[in-house]
Amino acid sequence: MSQSMNRRAMRAGSAAVAALLAIGLTSCAATSNGATSADGGSSGDGAGSGEKVTIKFAWWGSDSRVASTQQIIDAFEAENPDIHVEPVSTSWDDYFEKMNVMAAGNDLPDVMTQDDRYLTEYASRGLLADLASLDVDTSKVDQSVVDTGKIDDTLYGIATGVNVHAVVADPAVFEQAGVALPDDTTWTWEDYSDIAAQITAATGGSAYGVQNYSFIEPVLAIYARQHGEEIFTKDGAIGVSPETIESWFQRTVDQIASQAEPSAETATEIQGAGVDGSLPSTNKGAMAWFWSNQLSAIEKSAGRPLTLLRAPGDSEFERTGEYLRAAMYYAVSAKSEHPAEAAKFVDFMLNSQTAGDINLTDRGLPANLEVREAILPKLSDADKTSAAFIESLTDDGTFADSKPVPPKGSGEVSDITGRINSDVIFGKITPADAAQRWIDEVNKAIGQ
Amino acid sequence: MSTTTLPPGGLRPRTTDLAAQVPARRRRGRWRGRTGSAIRHTAMILGCLVMIYPVLWLLGSSFKPTSLIFRELSIFPSEWDWTNYSVGWNSLTYQFGRYMLNSLAIVGGALLGNLVTCAMAGYAFARLRFRGRNIWFTIMLITIMLPIHVIIVPQYVMFQRLDLVNTFWPLIVPKLLATDAFFIFLMVQFFRGIPRELEEAARLDGCGHARIFLRVMLPLAVPALATTAIFTFIWTWNDFFSQLIFLTSDDVKTAPLALKMFTDSTSGSNWGPQFAMSIVTIIPLFLIFLFGQKYLVKGIATTGIK
Amino acid sequence: MSAISELRTLSTKRRGPRPTAVTNLRKSDGRAAAVFLAPWFLGLFAITLFPLGASAYLSFTRYDMLSAPQWVGLQNFVDMVHDPRLLQSLRVTFTYVVTGVPLQLVAALAIAVLLNQGMRGLAFYRSVVYLPSLMGGSVAIAILWRQVFGEDGLVNKALGVFGIEGMGWVSNPDTALWTIVLLHVWTFGSPMVIFLAGLRQIPDMYYEAAQLDGASKWRQFRSVTLPLLSPIIFFNLVMQVITAFQAFTQAYVVSGGTGGPSDSTLFYTLYLYQEGFQNLRMGYASAMAWVLVLIVLAMTGANFLLSKFWVFYED
Repeated sequence: MSQSMNRRAMRAGSAAVAALLAIGLTSCAATSNGATSADGGSSGDGAGSGEKVTIKFAWWGSDSRVASTQQIIDAFEAENPDIHVEPVSTSWDDYFEKMNVMAAGNDLPDVMTQDDRYLTEYASRGLLADLASLDVDTSKVDQSVVDTGKIDDTLYGIATGVNVHAVVADPAVFEQAGVALPDDTTWTWEDYSDIAAQITAATGGSAYGVQNYSFIEPVLAIYARQHGEEIFTKDGAIGVSPETIESWFQRTVDQIASQAEPSAETATEIQGAGVDGSLPSTNKGAMAWFWSNQLSAIEKSAGRPLTLLRAPGDSEFERTGEYLRAAMYYAVSAKSEHPAEAAKFVDFMLNSQTAGDINLTDRGLPANLEVREAILPKLSDADKTSAAFIESLTDDGTFADSKPVPPKGSGEVSDITGRINSDVIFGKITPADAAQRWIDEVNKAIGQ
Repeated sequence: MSTTTLPPGGLRPRTTDLAAQVPARRRRGRWRGRTGSAIRHTAMILGCLVMIYPVLWLLGSSFKPTSLIFRELSIFPSEWDWTNYSVGWNSLTYQFGRYMLNSLAIVGGALLGNLVTCAMAGYAFARLRFRGRNIWFTIMLITIMLPIHVIIVPQYVMFQRLDLVNTFWPLIVPKLLATDAFFIFLMVQFFRGIPRELEEAARLDGCGHARIFLRVMLPLAVPALATTAIFTFIWTWNDFFSQLIFLTSDDVKTAPLALKMFTDSTSGSNWGPQFAMSIVTIIPLFLIFLFGQKYLVKGIATTGIK
Repeated sequence: MSAISELRTLSTKRRGPRPTAVTNLRKSDGRAAAVFLAPWFLGLFAITLFPLGASAYLSFTRYDMLSAPQWVGLQNFVDMVHDPRLLQSLRVTFTYVVTGVPLQLVAALAIAVLLNQGMRGLAFYRSVVYLPSLMGGSVAIAILWRQVFGEDGLVNKALGVFGIEGMGWVSNPDTALWTIVLLHVWTFGSPMVIFLAGLRQIPDMYYEAAQLDGASKWRQFRSVTLPLLSPIIFFNLVMQVITAFQAFTQAYVVSGGTGGPSDSTLFYTLYLYQEGFQNLRMGYASAMAWVLVLIVLAMTGANFLLSKFWVFYED
């Protein structure tokens, strides 16, 4: 009871602060919600009403995307002279800290690009509008791709484009090692490890077989799916067994021992160097796992043509593991004062050929299949490779089902996986302990 | 820290006597000879090379094509890419100079604020007696102990309510209101180094606090003001985080924000132009320091003269 | 706090009887203080106090920034006790403070003394020595650090000359933190400048007197320089301890925001940032922030207390 007294005292003491915070956090919501229906309705229909509407569009990316996005905005404004689009852009590293703070201030941009990591977080807290209720045409997008942005049957985000996680391979290193590129429709995980070890041995260590994979959550997702599991089930619980996780980490340990992949120290260094410093980017290795749209950046660093291989083991177990993932999503703020205009802009980004021609594959291979078809001839060689790669996986029916949308808190899984992997590769814990810790920490993150 | 064997209080009476006998001469020490000087300069230059290495590396790398930056350890580019500077300057929404000017505007406001209000607060804490001074001083110190990351969210909410987000005001107004306690504390320590006799003489002449502050304390505290000015300049210029949070649109972005636009960890970064513009943004800082530090050191020496 | 009592003894220390004019002025101190502190008070109440209070309030809530905070009482503080990463971050931070701060101050003082000699081109040397500090949190530092301390880095190349086999200093959990301590020591520019200023403040006559006494350079340093410089050393120590506890940028940049490898560079503030901004636990982060304030306050208090034994003020 003294605790409850304390509590009350503290509450009273901080009442003023709380009230102020509450004003910041909720009052705006009330007013702008009220304005939404009136405002949005009228300006959406009454084209010539004269009032110029300003909407904010937020995205992450570097200077080249800033320039291309501005071009798209200019084209959109030319078509819609009564709408002004104000760009909000930061680098990827800073994007969500800025969005989170803007959300705290009830100040989210009307349109924003979203990522897997935060889509559920934002949607489940009522920050995103239901795109199905707005005027966004998704008929040209594959249904399974549309579904990646659905949470509990509500469309919170529409995929900008699609990606596949796959193995980036450097044919030159294979040739140098005298090892043939594997047939990626049949290769097993054993083949993968063997080939990698052969390459390291044959090149005398001047090139490694493969870059460590167990920092990377999507590889675990693929591996789990091959074993008939999912990292998260449809109900939002962990769906991957400790045995699967253990064998996944075990392969890393074995590969370090066989020198198929670099030592723990080197692996950590390479991981920290990101896309620009990966093994294939620096001509120092034959294989590494990346998203298909990262191929062009890696190829640019490498200065020679690279190729994509399907995940090993896709024909080995119960089912295929590869899945289509939305590169990013367009989402509309639930508190936008101009939802109709916001939707119009999303529709333009998604469906207009003008936008598609400027974007190309910058936001993933376009989700709109017609736009995708039309831009194919304009792509760089690397982008053509990854487009053809996705095409062939689609034709083979590899993407049998889509990966369930992960629950709240799942954004931490990537960090947890990387952290535990560090402990595994430096020999601080065994793969079995790692599996258990992974499950414990992920459960904590998703609040179970 | 070891305790000292000879407290200055004990030293002073004797030294003043002795000082009267010894003609003032410059201390030159044992490095008088030419060879000694040469050796010393060599050592200094070697030491400087270690210190300057990162900047030389940055400078060298800013002339390398992006793909070489990761592969080449050498400072000297094996392949020169002169375009990094023109690409870096021109490839953002505005020319890079625009972002530098924005940074300068914020720095200007911060300078004005810190110089005037921190000096005032410092004087009050160092020289005035008032009720609750202990508590206020402690509160002042606490305000620098909270990490910015938890303060920024309420601060954002506040400035957003005032409709000041995406302007320079959230970055300048706090400085105008002496929220940078580091400099208050710095001013306190420097004011305390100023002999009281000067001030008390002024008081006997009938000067009020305002005149003492303006005519006696401030001129004597010029070095402290210079320190404040230099550090404010450099730290405000480099302050990435609050600028990221408060500035949104391209026309108000600052140099550090603009620099970050060259990097994209999800795909390739434009390290070449990024490094080139990093060099460009360091230049004003280096110049400020190069010219400011003489003034700063010399100024401080004057406070020691009684 | 002792700092203030010390300030008070100082300001009340009077030399001889005080004329009435001065006494009158003393009486007007309160009003003058109100004027001189007016901007600061305004800033405190209008700008600082609200975030301060809000973060204190939020430390008792579950707050994700995306929705309104929920009161959870002391839960955040209870959770902290059972949080292994928090303990790790404390370990990392204390190691850093205990080693990095003294090393940096000693380096800053040594270089300041060196640069205080009569010598040509000192202005230039001083500016050059300050350069690493100018680079601050530039992302270039991350790449540079890998190229210097990486497996194929410069340090290992240098060691190779002597036949010593190096290692991946930045990527090894046992050594990563030390490279950041080194980075901290390297950026000694700010305390050095303040030391330099303090050194110039010491009148030459003290050294001349000491020389007449036949004191060696080292003895001069110990008996003249150190005591007369002690208020400045004290200022640097206090401020460096405070800022070192909040160290963030260097670890963030070098580890790519992870605090890795294996949490070996997980600084307290970095962890706080991860929890608050990435994992949307701003309530927990606020609780962490206030625990940090208590720790730093205790350290600062201890510093002020201990200062009685080694800091000498001239007035």
